[in-house]
Amino acid sequence: MDKRIFEKLLIAELINEEEFKKIQLQENEPVSVHWDLRSLLYLGIVLLTTALGILVYKNINTIGHDVILIAIAVLCAACFWYSFKNAHGYSNKKIASSNAFYDYILLLGCLLLLTFIGYLQFEYEVFGNRWGIAIFVPMILLFSAAYYFDHLGVLNLAIVNLAAWVGISITPLNVIRENDFSNERLIYSGIVLGVFLAAMAFLSVYKNIKAHFSFTYKNFGCHILLIALLAAMFYFENYYLLWFLPLCIVSFLFFKNAIKENSFYFLVITILYAYIALSYVFIRLIFTENSGENSFYLAIVYFIFSGIGLIWLFIHYNKIIKQHAGI
Amino acid sequence: MQAYNSNDLYNQIIRQEASDAFRNNYLSEESYKKILLSKPCNLYTPNYFIRIALGLVTIIAVLFTAVLLGLLFASSGGSAQVVTLCFFLGVACYASLELIIKNKKYYNAGVDNILMSSVIIFFLSAFFVNDITINYILISAISMAIALYLCVRFTDAFMAIVCYLSFVLFVFFLYQKLGPIAKTTLPFLMMILSVGIYVIMQRLQKKDRLVTYNFCLKSVMLLTLVTFYASCNYFVVKELSNQMLNPRLLIKDDLPLGWLFWIFTFSIPFIYIFYGIKRKDLLFIRTGLVLIAAAIFTIRYYHHVFSAEISMLIAGSVLIIVSYLLIQYLKEPRKGYTSIEMNPPGKNLLNIEALIIARTLGTSSKTQDNSLFGGGSGGGGGATGNF
Repeated sequence: MDKRIFEKLLIAELINEEEFKKIQLQENEPVSVHWDLRSLLYLGIVLLTTALGILVYKNINTIGHDVILIAIAVLCAACFWYSFKNAHGYSNKKIASSNAFYDYILLLGCLLLLTFIGYLQFEYEVFGNRWGIAIFVPMILLFSAAYYFDHLGVLNLAIVNLAAWVGISITPLNVIRENDFSNERLIYSGIVLGVFLAAMAFLSVYKNIKAHFSFTYKNFGCHILLIALLAAMFYFENYYLLWFLPLCIVSFLFFKNAIKENSFYFLVITILYAYIALSYVFIRLIFTENSGENSFYLAIVYFIFSGIGLIWLFIHYNKIIKQHAGI
Repeated sequence: MQAYNSNDLYNQIIRQEASDAFRNNYLSEESYKKILLSKPCNLYTPNYFIRIALGLVTIIAVLFTAVLLGLLFASSGGSAQVVTLCFFLGVACYASLELIIKNKKYYNAGVDNILMSSVIIFFLSAFFVNDITINYILISAISMAIALYLCVRFTDAFMAIVCYLSFVLFVFFLYQKLGPIAKTTLPFLMMILSVGIYVIMQRLQKKDRLVTYNFCLKSVMLLTLVTFYASCNYFVVKELSNQMLNPRLLIKDDLPLGWLFWIFTFSIPFIYIFYGIKRKDLLFIRTGLVLIAAAIFTIRYYHHVFSAEISMLIAGSVLIIVSYLLIQYLKEPRKGYTSIEMNPPGKNLLNIEALIIARTLGTSSKTQDNSLFGGGSGGGGGATGNF
């Protein structure tokens, strides 16, 4: 806070002496390096676990699989033992975490659990050829951990695992990069998964079971569902208008919900997804087999004016949400 | 000189500061209301996500306008036509920027940021089209001038950064022309330059008149810290002098005065951190921490002391131990620092703030949104804070 400004406010008698003194005293208050230290700690954990992973991988011949597996299991068990000891017990409400390390230890435990089961399956084929079960078991464990310990990071892991189980390998950053959306079955399962996650988002609020998980569910659900629908539009080329319809309905529903909940984030992403779909339809409509140079110019003009139109749209809804949020 | 009404800019800062003070419980409801009522601000700054979206669609609109005009007027490919077109687009972007700000008072709304960047990009690309000789001195000088003008006129921090970087490049290219002695003294000149600019920015920060430019000045100060380090980092100095001087040095070869640059490479991050701790300046501390990583990468490039995983193991362990000990040590505030999170404003207080703003909304349109994601709480690696 800038003292100069408050000095002026004091002179203008907009604040009183007492308030000004409080602000002056604030300068002597200790500086909080809470987030700096936490980031360093987190960075340290990431570096350490990565380094250990590389070391194990490079020396696997000399150490032996059993030793490594036992080491991972022991470490994992220790993490969960610590987590259980510090846990407050299950509640449908949000639970504040007990200390700085609790969150990290739990996350480490869950990551180790995944490594352990993956290693076990890869090396000894405990689940045989039924890879589905090999993913299903850790998924159930992760969901239980996320709900019991109330941990959003673990919930994210669990949802990614669920998606992997359904047949899509997603992580938040490479949804588009790594998936080949040319497979019909992937598209259908993506749609089902998206609907399921959106339903979970709705239910967690409606039934008031971990209502604060709703955002995570909705975030994944919204992106997966809309990307799957877009992929369906691109893939089933001849029926693209048919797929445009559900996409419009879904975006509209998310859009309505965003307005209702005053969420700028969902407002922006649903409008952008819908815009991509609309542009695709428009381009397909004007580029027919005998279209000439004019369609090309038409497309460019479309993008210019639709861009300006979107600017207007965003500003309009920014105003609406802000009015709602203010009340 | 400024495109915005200076009262608006000033009031916006006051409102921001008042909001901070209110959230920390320093201000009473009544005072806060009084401040909001008597310091109206007509600048238009929408929500963060809307800004990103507006920026994106503005890029689409500008890009396709450029493509359309390019196809219509410069499709024959003559470089004179392209240069004219670039100039025209630059002027057009600037004109629309002025128009939008005059009529709608957009301030960091995404649209204005993108238009501002487009102005510079279009003007500069006009110089790159002419592919016979690219005059870097001229280009950096022009970029500096345009960015300075835009920064002053629109109080834009990004333009301040562009301006400073162009200035550094300008001096870099110009000084090289002075011959071989200049080339060997270049790192020292750059260091002096960074310090000089830092001191100037610090002086300017104290001027009451420039309080609206505070964020621009701060951004440049951060950059001066980085350029100061970069100009004496062993890797940067060696690789750059390789580019400029003959004969080229191999990785094993030593740089003249190499020992001095090694000392700089390792001592400066720590000097930043100690200075920052002493002055309670988080800018120095954080920059120093990042630069330690840069120093480690520098030495790993030239000397393979440890393998990558061993270095990571050591670094990770050190980080965990140091941060753990510090978190424990600073649980009770010591020496003006604490590891406890500064009490975040309660939901209740934020709701009251939203209510006050709504009541005073008649005179202004600026609000502080308390729900960025609409009530969601995002959590990556074990974070429990509200994002």
